[in-house]
Amino acid sequence: MAERWQSEPWTKDMWWSGKTTRRRFLGLSATAAGALGATMLVPAPWREAFGQAKPYKIGVLQPLTGAAAAGGKTALVGSQLAADRINKSGGINGRPIELVIADYESKPDVGRRKAEKLVVEDKVDVGEGGYLSNVCLACMPVFEEQETVFMIGVCLDTTITTSKCSRYVFRPFDYAPSQAVAFAPYLVKKLGKKWHIVYLDYAWGQSTRDAYVEQIKKQGGDVVGTTGIPLGTADMTAFISKITGSFDGLFAIMFGANAVTFTNQAYDLGLTKKAKYAGDGAVAESTHLTALGQKVEGFTGVNRYIPVLTKPLDTPYHKKFFEESKILLKQMDPSGPDPDRYVQSNFEAMNFLKLGIQKSGFKGRAAGDAEFKKESLKLIEALEGMEVKEGDDFPQGDKTLRREDHQAFLRQFIFDIHNNKHRLLEVIPREKTVVAPACTFPKA
Amino acid sequence: MIPFDQIFVQIVNGLVNGMILALVASGLTLIFGIMDIVNFAHGDLFMLGAYIGTTAFLTTGSFWIALVASVVVMAVLGAALQVTALRPLLGRDPLTTILATFGLSLVIQNYALWQYGPVPRKILEPVSGHFRLFYVEYPWYRIVIALMSAAIIGALYLFMKYGKHGIWIRATTQDRVMAAAMGIPVPWVHTVVFAIGAAMAAASGVLFGPTVGINHAMGFDFTLRAFVVVVVGGMGNLGGSILASIFISLLESLATIWVSPAQAVIVSFVALILTLLIRPTGLFVPTPK
Repeated sequence: MAERWQSEPWTKDMWWSGKTTRRRFLGLSATAAGALGATMLVPAPWREAFGQAKPYKIGVLQPLTGAAAAGGKTALVGSQLAADRINKSGGINGRPIELVIADYESKPDVGRRKAEKLVVEDKVDVGEGGYLSNVCLACMPVFEEQETVFMIGVCLDTTITTSKCSRYVFRPFDYAPSQAVAFAPYLVKKLGKKWHIVYLDYAWGQSTRDAYVEQIKKQGGDVVGTTGIPLGTADMTAFISKITGSFDGLFAIMFGANAVTFTNQAYDLGLTKKAKYAGDGAVAESTHLTALGQKVEGFTGVNRYIPVLTKPLDTPYHKKFFEESKILLKQMDPSGPDPDRYVQSNFEAMNFLKLGIQKSGFKGRAAGDAEFKKESLKLIEALEGMEVKEGDDFPQGDKTLRREDHQAFLRQFIFDIHNNKHRLLEVIPREKTVVAPACTFPKA
Repeated sequence: MIPFDQIFVQIVNGLVNGMILALVASGLTLIFGIMDIVNFAHGDLFMLGAYIGTTAFLTTGSFWIALVASVVVMAVLGAALQVTALRPLLGRDPLTTILATFGLSLVIQNYALWQYGPVPRKILEPVSGHFRLFYVEYPWYRIVIALMSAAIIGALYLFMKYGKHGIWIRATTQDRVMAAAMGIPVPWVHTVVFAIGAAMAAASGVLFGPTVGINHAMGFDFTLRAFVVVVVGGMGNLGGSILASIFISLLESLATIWVSPAQAVIVSFVALILTLLIRPTGLFVPTPK
């Protein structure tokens, strides 16, 4: 038997069978580097169509590492899907768009630093993304100081478009007061009068808790207790075993891995069998269903987006969005999850930017640094009060981006989990989700 | 009035949580005791062990095979990591090894995110069912976790006490130079200890996995808590870390009767500060005579 496999007869015709000399190694390395370089020099198929046109640079802020990476990566799929579609269909005003992606590591201080880098060093024309509310709140002053429009893709904290609202910031999807107005009648009339609320103890969880407490009471129900759980708590049994007393329903305000942990452990400790289990739709996003299995069965929630293709979501726009997202999501995660609200709202946020840029003729930094503020104001004016219709760009449905606070209003879906899938129970029209504006923009 | 039902529930909770924490912390303290390495990647080994467990579970359908497979794979991986990343740093400034393990932590986290994706995974518990514990339905599986943790720690204790290689490990802990002079292959002892530490992290990851969704960030919380108990128990003192895990978890659980569990964690940090001030060698280390 030959001692070296290279001496075996079957290796004779293999190009790597011989002795690896320095010359051979360098030669192969140069060939590989050349091939790689040539690949990089070939532009994407859509890029050729734009010739020398300067792209719109869109700074996308997402948590791609750290505790919130799962949601951030999913959210990014929405932005990328919209950018691909925009570029394939001729760009905006004859210019392609280029995403400048910044990972803020799930940390507010890093988020602020990355937002500054995007606007000051990378010179992006607009910002998009967000995800964690505390990061959005930390970054908003940066966009305002640098007079750059920030189209939020996910953050749900109420104060973003109320007490801390900014002229430069838009939220093209729902927020807790709207969801609470839409869902509270169902909770109180169909599920139970007395509720215990469990929430993630940070900006979004606290403001959402306040919105539901107010609306449940307004509907004649009562909130008998609330429990805050810090973000990233691995073992929640200490919190769950303290939830005692008599109540009809347990309402959870959770997202991501926290939601999975809570649902698992609340089920294990018998809490979700003792009372009806309901909550924010983020508890039962499509990306969680495999991990939760039968422990989430029967959960009732409200969400702006659910991955079902039954009426009224059986439109060709939604089917197209669903199928195209699935392809990108499969590349992101081998389990190939269905799209969720993070994909949907980032996708639609990009399309709001597209429409705003088209309508205003926004040139961005191409107009020169001195003109940039004027350009941003043109874009803001175009976006304020914008009405959009259900279609390819907005598969979720019609929307209004309110002038007074830059908050969007849209229809909501009440659903439950049946056989480990979403089942649509009721559609709340957007008119029934409207709450009064509570924002005074700071004077420029 | 003293709420006896709550006290009893929280004692059970504290003991169960303490045993899980003890299993994580024992690997961490073993590595520190023998190698003087503060392993910042321990929580990530816990997480990777859980992921490997899900792969084995999906392939075989058996939780117990998944547990064993994960332990074996992570032991081999731990040995490989020690040989390639940590052995070359032996004898250098401790800061170098801290940075190296921190780097390993980032690599493992991002590898898990890339390999398994961001969607949380599920591993089914092998024992379902509940028993009534006053006002809560307590799952039998949490009791199983505590018993399994105790069994694994017990096996480690017996190995260290009576096994030939366990005696080598203890000799290396006491005096590395003398152990080498007596013919003990100290570099290989280090490798085996890191492998045992990684295997124990993997075992705790798989055991704890069914109670949470397995995700790339599941080790964060445990790493911090494990460091607290390792310091309180005495750095490198295996028995001390186990007692400290139970002691801290019981204190925290009992504190939750009167304050929010979020505030109750302060108790463990108070214990940490007091230990560092009054007894820096650890609460459960015998006083030198």
